[in-house]
Parts: sequence; C-alpha cells; structure tokens
Amino acid sequence: MRNNLVYYLILVRMKITVLNGNMTQENIEFERLINEFILKVSENNVVEQFKLNEMNLHYCTGCWSCWWKTPGKCAINDDAEKIFKSVINSEFVVFASPIYAGFTGSLLKKITDRLIVLLHPYIEIIQKETHHKKRYDNYPKIGLILQRENETDSEDIKIITDIYKRFAINFHSKLCYVKILETNTMEEIIHETCNI
Amino acid sequence: MKLAIFNGSPRRKNSNSTVLVEHFVDGFNRFSDYSPTIHYVADTKRINDNLEAFDSAEYVLIIFPLYTDCMPGVVKEFFEKICERKIYQSKKIGFIVQSGFPEIIHSIWIEKYLQKLVNRLNCDYLGTVIKGGVEGIKIMPPIMTKKLYKNFEMLGEYFANHQEFSPKIKAKLAKPYKMSYVRILFFKLFKSLGFTNFYWNMNLKKNEAFEKRYDRPYEISIATETK
Repeated sequence: MRNNLVYYLILVRMKITVLNGNMTQENIEFERLINEFILKVSENNVVEQFKLNEMNLHYCTGCWSCWWKTPGKCAINDDAEKIFKSVINSEFVVFASPIYAGFTGSLLKKITDRLIVLLHPYIEIIQKETHHKKRYDNYPKIGLILQRENETDSEDIKIITDIYKRFAINFHSKLCYVKILETNTMEEIIHETCNI
Repeated sequence: MKLAIFNGSPRRKNSNSTVLVEHFVDGFNRFSDYSPTIHYVADTKRINDNLEAFDSAEYVLIIFPLYTDCMPGVVKEFFEKICERKIYQSKKIGFIVQSGFPEIIHSIWIEKYLQKLVNRLNCDYLGTVIKGGVEGIKIMPPIMTKKLYKNFEMLGEYFANHQEFSPKIKAKLAKPYKMSYVRILFFKLFKSLGFTNFYWNMNLKKNEAFEKRYDRPYEISIATETK
C-alpha cells in the first residue's frame, strides 16, 4: 500500500479522467484520435476513460435528492457513480465529444448535468455573482476536445467555449483549453494536457 | 395561430417551467381561439409524437430550466433529433430559459446557441425570454410571485396578439442582469442572519438530512487508501 503512495507521488504527475461522449459506433476517426491521445498521455499520468455510449446512464431528473435527501449522493442507480468518483478525485477532466447540432453531444451533457451532485446547494457570492458552494476541497481543471461537424464554424466554437467557461466557474474549476481534432495537432493537445 | 409549447424540464409536469407555462397560456387563451398544445420533452418515449407536433406547428415555444449553464441533456437530445431531419420551413421558434440563480448573467450564454440553432433549421427566431430566481416559486407566498405570474400572463396575451414576445416584458423579466452592490449587501446581511439558505435547510431538515449536508461520499483520500 505504501508503494502505491510513492508511485502516486513521484512517478505519476496527474490523475486524468476522460469523458468520451462519442455517440455513434461509426465515428471511428474520433475513437482513433481519442485512443491515441489517451495512450500518449498515459505515459506520465494515470488516465481513466469512460466511454459514455457503453455505459448505463440516465438523465438527471432534477429530483435534488443529492442536495436535500442524501447529501452529495445521486439517487439514480446506474453507472454514473463511477464517473463521479473518478472526476472528483482527478486533477484534470477532459470533456471529449464530436459536435452535434452545434454543441457537445447530449450524451456528454447527460453526465455533465449530473455533476451537480459534486456541488453544495448553498449559494455564495463569488466575483459578484451567485454560485453554489463547494462540496469538496478541490475540483479538477477541465479541457474540451471537439470534433467538427460539416457546418461547424468559428462562431460555433466560440459559443461552446463561452458556455464551458461559465460551467468552469460554477464548477469551481478552470477551462484550460478547447481543442479541435481537425485543427489542433495531437502533439499540441498532448503537450498542453501534460502541462496544465 | 397554431402554437406548440415544448416543456423541456426534466421534472416534466411537476416543474417550475410548468407553472410559468400555465400563466403564459392563461394570458394567451384570452386572445386566441386555439389553445396551444403542450408537450414534455423529457417524455422520451413519446419522441415521435413530440417531433410530429414540432413539424406541424406554425409557432413553437421551447421552455427549459438552465442545467449546468445551458439546456438540459434531454433538451439537447431533442435538438439533435430535430436537426437530423432538416425539413422545416416558415416555422417561428422562440425560447424561455429559466433558472434558479437570481441574476440572468448565468443564462445569457445559451441564447447565442439557440439563435444559431434556429438559423440552422432555416426557421425564424422569435427571441429568448430569460428569467432568473425561479427555483422555489411553488412554495413562495403569493405576494412574492404575483408580479412574476402577471408578467407571464401578459407575455402570453401579447404573444396571442402580436405573434412575438413583448420586448417590454422581456426586458422586465431579464432583471437583474448582475447582482448590484445593494443586492450583494442584502445577501450578506441575510446570510449573517442565516436566511439565505432557508429553502435548502427547510428541505434538508424535512428529509432528516440536515446533519449530513456536508457529506462527501465520492471522495477517495490517499491517506485512507494507504492505511
């Protein structure tokens, strides 16, 4: 057990969670690039990937059990708990998704909605805005890896970036980067991930 | 005017969005011969009925609560299904985005997306009504919600008469944009008196969960692992 601790502290830089929001089996290119990314990043980091389309996941129903019945715990009995544990115990989380209808896919949004389980219902003022209080001491930084759809333009990327920046504030986090698989090189994405 | 209202709340009928829709429809029906049809997006088993209702409507209103700074996942899925079909013409689409946060700065970012979504569908964009401070409206005393409900009735009346959102009411609902110094001062005062989290504490206590309110069930600390 002590060896594990040494390994964690010395050899491994970060724990990284990758939420893979690919929604179609046919999108082989996205899968190939994400796998390449994970392989390289795993050389110096502990990476845990969740292929959301292979998991049993339900939509948040807004029941708020996690805020006022079983504080911090989601009432839905599905595979999401593994993701909650991984996300909150990571230093960095990659939200990866092809763009569908101008935004990250509904599969990724499904699990993003449920991350409110990691926040506290109480409201406090942060930078002159109301936000939910932290439930945990530390929250992972986040990065966004996107794959374009045919009609994607720079305005779409700006819209997505702005919304994830807002999400990062509410999640007591920081959006470190937004990378597009078609325009940013794999080396660049890996380099920035390893040096956040 | 054939109006279809899509309620995108994951809480479906038992939601704050429903309450706002009811007041909108009350106002609308005073000036329209046809009552709007209402559809629940989170009713995913009825997706085909919902898509059909979307197809055949001349006017569409989509209302949803802000979930992690944009539309709930289930609403995004609905948007994806609509975009896949690409068969819409001369449809007019408007949105109502409501949130629990008092200030609307949280909700303005999604508006650009919604506008672009409507362009993508080759439809006409009727605008987005943004309203904050909606959580808990069902348990608030009538004096606190009277103005809000009246505004939604007037929004419905205006919509029936002019086939668009009233710019005046829209602007009224979109306040405050950010927290003013006075509001922050009041917030801090209420906080020191223990009032700010009244709604949460009331429910936590009702569920006998108050003592556990700071629980961190998903935390794995290295210290405990190495013991």
